[in-house]
Amino acid sequence: MFSIRKNAVYKRINRRKFLELGGGAATALGAGSMTLGLSSLITRTPVQAASSDDAKWKQYAGSKLVFLSENTPPSFAIRDNIKAFTDLTGIEVTILTDDLPVVQQKLGIDLRSGKSDYTLGYVQDKPIGAPFGDMFADMTPMFGDATLPQDPEGYGDDAWFENFLSACGRFYDKGKIVALPYDAAVACTFYRQDLFEANSKDFEAEYGYRLEFNKDSTWKNVTDMAAFFKKAKEAGKDVPYGYAQHQGSFAWTTQLDIQRFLFANGRWMDWNIDDVYGSKEPGKTNWGDAQSILMMQKFKDLADVCHPDNLANGTLELNTVYQSGNIAMQTQYHEFAASIEDEKTSRAAGGKTAYAPCPKGDPSWITNGGEAVNGTNCGIGGIGINGNASEDLKRAAYIFAIWSVSKDNQYNVLKGLGGTPTRKSVVALPDVQAAKQRPTTMPNALTFDAVYDYGIKNPHFVLGPKIPNANEYHSILAAEMQKCLSNEQSAEDTCKTIQTQLDELNNAG
Amino acid sequence: MASRDVIQYETPFTKSLRWFSAVFIAFYMVWTVLPIFIMFMSSFKDLLEAFKLPAIGDWAGVTVFFEFTPTTKHYYELFANLGFTRYLMNSLIAAGGSAVVSVVLGSLCAYSLSRIDFRGKSDLFFWIISTRMAPVVAVMVPLYWIFRELDLVGTLPGLILAYTTFNLPFAIWILKGFFDNVPYAIEEAQMVDGATRLQAFRAILPLVAPGIGAFIVLCILFAWNDYLFAAIIGSGGAKTLPAATRELVQPQNIQWGQIMAAGTVTTLPMMFLGLVIRKYLVTGLTMGAVKE
Amino acid sequence: MSSSSTTIAASSSDARSGSRLFRVREITDNVESRPVSVVAAEPPSINPAASKRYYFLLMAPAILVLAFISIYPFFWMIYMSLHDVDIGKVEWNDFANFLKLPNDTRFMSGWWLLIQYSVMCLTLQIVIGVFLAVSLNGSRFEKILVTTLLMPMMMAPLVAGMVWYFLYNGTFGWYHWLLQSVGILGPKSILASSSTAMIGVVLVDVWQWTPLITLITLAGLKRVPQDQLEANMVDGASPVRNFFSVTLPNLYPVLLIAIMLRFMDNFRFIDSLLVLTGGGPGNSTKILPVYLFEVSFKFFKLGRGAAIALILLIVTIILGKLLVRVFDRQQPSKV
Repeated sequence: MFSIRKNAVYKRINRRKFLELGGGAATALGAGSMTLGLSSLITRTPVQAASSDDAKWKQYAGSKLVFLSENTPPSFAIRDNIKAFTDLTGIEVTILTDDLPVVQQKLGIDLRSGKSDYTLGYVQDKPIGAPFGDMFADMTPMFGDATLPQDPEGYGDDAWFENFLSACGRFYDKGKIVALPYDAAVACTFYRQDLFEANSKDFEAEYGYRLEFNKDSTWKNVTDMAAFFKKAKEAGKDVPYGYAQHQGSFAWTTQLDIQRFLFANGRWMDWNIDDVYGSKEPGKTNWGDAQSILMMQKFKDLADVCHPDNLANGTLELNTVYQSGNIAMQTQYHEFAASIEDEKTSRAAGGKTAYAPCPKGDPSWITNGGEAVNGTNCGIGGIGINGNASEDLKRAAYIFAIWSVSKDNQYNVLKGLGGTPTRKSVVALPDVQAAKQRPTTMPNALTFDAVYDYGIKNPHFVLGPKIPNANEYHSILAAEMQKCLSNEQSAEDTCKTIQTQLDELNNAG
Repeated sequence: MASRDVIQYETPFTKSLRWFSAVFIAFYMVWTVLPIFIMFMSSFKDLLEAFKLPAIGDWAGVTVFFEFTPTTKHYYELFANLGFTRYLMNSLIAAGGSAVVSVVLGSLCAYSLSRIDFRGKSDLFFWIISTRMAPVVAVMVPLYWIFRELDLVGTLPGLILAYTTFNLPFAIWILKGFFDNVPYAIEEAQMVDGATRLQAFRAILPLVAPGIGAFIVLCILFAWNDYLFAAIIGSGGAKTLPAATRELVQPQNIQWGQIMAAGTVTTLPMMFLGLVIRKYLVTGLTMGAVKE
Repeated sequence: MSSSSTTIAASSSDARSGSRLFRVREITDNVESRPVSVVAAEPPSINPAASKRYYFLLMAPAILVLAFISIYPFFWMIYMSLHDVDIGKVEWNDFANFLKLPNDTRFMSGWWLLIQYSVMCLTLQIVIGVFLAVSLNGSRFEKILVTTLLMPMMMAPLVAGMVWYFLYNGTFGWYHWLLQSVGILGPKSILASSSTAMIGVVLVDVWQWTPLITLITLAGLKRVPQDQLEANMVDGASPVRNFFSVTLPNLYPVLLIAIMLRFMDNFRFIDSLLVLTGGGPGNSTKILPVYLFEVSFKFFKLGRGAAIALILLIVTIILGKLLVRVFDRQQPSKV
């Protein structure tokens, strides 16, 4: 009566070690409750390649799966609409949603302990994919399996936006695909058109160019703008701060924040590795070189003229600051557009906000001879299958995975809760194309030009280092950078200590 | 309360001291109540209303705090759409279950410990209490793996067992004090009258019953307010109120109205229980070391 | 140590006189009115002749459950701390988890910050708590005011953390507005700077737990010998001197217990800290338990995490031993 039946069905592996460690007695003790955790076995109706599509969809009717996801719009939308899937396949899927750090913890523990309580997991590229990529099931054998239903558009790189499949699906091994792009958060610039226009004259008088933001605006311009607004605000004018960053407690958004800054100015990267696939042995880091020190200094200069709450504001809080009208510009993930355009919660709604690509690098800031680009990064969330699950479970999970990322489903999510499509065909739909202009029924579409048509394309796009120690790397970087921004250590010392710690982390010292 | 018929001489110094303490008490009470008050009020506000602040230094503007149209939509949303009824039940069952398990097993153990003496008893007793003191984060990893192997993760029995890790030693420690106070002579007398040992034990139970009742409540309080175990052991299937409250921090919007409502729902029952067992509270929170 | 300040229930030995019938009734009253006294009147309650097997049998379920949830994980923790528990492998690594710790700046600063955090919390709590108790003691409104004080303690630390996070917020937080209006803070909110974030998290702990110190002190104050105070007063001692020469020494034992309990709770609970800062900015609030949480549940370095956990656990056990000794000294017959 106390038990909530978990819908997990799995093969028990890794039991041997447990018994070695003296689990026998414990198992006996816990035997009473053991039965409570397990649910029915997977049910299967064998199908052949020649079977009807309907039979293939329904071959696991009666099975139960659990999907642990971040609490992003697609998961809510799919949960609301799960009946459609159950009707189609007869499979019951429980969708659990949590805050990303919690998802990371739970999935990590699940995978690491050789279990598959969560048959399907949310493979956010770096926080979850980089450390655990190897533990998700390789989907490639199933792509061509004629006994499984398949998506008519296929799963090739062309079906998705540039690099999306690699971002969340390929880790350290080009041949394996462990997740399909499920949702995306791509950085772009949100700025207050109304405030920019109102202050343009004053700005031009001081800086000699118009207060405008476009794809050629550089980080140096952003610093100017932030300084301008700050000065005006402190002089008592009725303007908000100019700019703010995400420096709060989510280490990886902090890392992404400086990464796009570094990449914009000369395509600088932490390690000389192929960031599309990542590396388990990245070697010595580039931190501590002249370009990184210069960038750290410039980054601090920018932070000094930003909204003063940088160091307390994570992604969400920063967005709240923008929503409440306290900053004129933010670099934010495009999935946030829906909340900005919501008149009920936002003072920046109703046409006040315009969207543009991320700021560009400034040639005068580049010492390494690299190119100035609109450094754009992202978090691509994939849907992956737990590698510990049994063969049949994997196949059943695969059916859900391909359904959840199908064109129809992504389109429904976009219409409902403001999704972030990953398939090209979804954005190509006439409806969606029309929604890119105001007035719109799909507010996220307002960002699509800046994101899908520009930011994510080469040479602007940066994935960032995929290394097994990604989470500790984020944490080190965020902590040391925050020390620099709060004047505890100089830019140079910051870069040097980052260098020492990262090289130690990767045994490259 | 002690009688105070000694004449106190009022000097300017003691007078100002008295004034100062009065002001200090007033200030401290405001500081104590204010966060709870703001939480309570904000749970009835719409998001933009909750974000309203006067200009810096505009003391007269404080009234904006009260300018809002009360709405119960956050509560409605929590219980109608976000499954808080279920989480409330989970909290009740997990906290109540662990309290009952702890007090039942604990009273048997405490009773025995108080009735016999053996070599190593003090070591055993110290071991019992040290399990209560262990940092939660420190024991979480191994505990999780074990619970995992037993399929207890994400289930209410698992969560009950997890809470028992700190409630059981607590119950043993406190209840032993109770039984120590009941002379063995009572049981002896009962047995002389023909009662069995078990009946004798039952006969002394009423003597400690009020205390046991109070400590069941305290165990509930400890378990109810826990977050780490709830987040990691109870994940998924056995989500409790604190864990569910944390989850309201969502990528697109921090649902402050709902968070405040959930906070109120989590806090009010415990405040009520705190009042009910007011008499035992200090004893409980100091592991029995201090008695009022 | 003065026994008048401790919790000894003096009456259980009285109960031995009188007839059996009376005895029972007397004791009933006695126990009900003092159900919480933890004191042992050892001789009358021990059953010297009993067959121990019966009592061990009663003890067994609790001991088994405790063993299962404490000893077994403990050995597992030791096992993990000696191995490199990484993706898909468990390898003996020659104590590397431990040997690397002295060079781990976050580990070392974690200790330092933990001590800093605890000292700040405790100092504020003791000073405010004792002063508050002395002011409240015997006041007309004592009862209602003390009841009000209970409220923060009943709140889940996680909820407290979230509420305070809301209050501190630089955009819409009332406390931030207050601090700014008074001129203590600039536009930068308290959690946004590595120099003030620690104060911010300490204040939350102070808010939540100072009342406990006040309650404990109030309980202690009731046992301060009034005749001594009065005698001193007659001799012309000021209330302040009386406080320091009589009251405080008498409070010392209860306060010691309070300090140790709070200190150990700072090791145990990090819920509100995780919500408020998560250890940042710039590691400025990353006290050891928070770092441990990060190592185990964010970096998934389970071996290193177990090594840190083990050290933390050993320190806690030593502290616990001290605490129990303090208990014992106050209650000689205990255990």
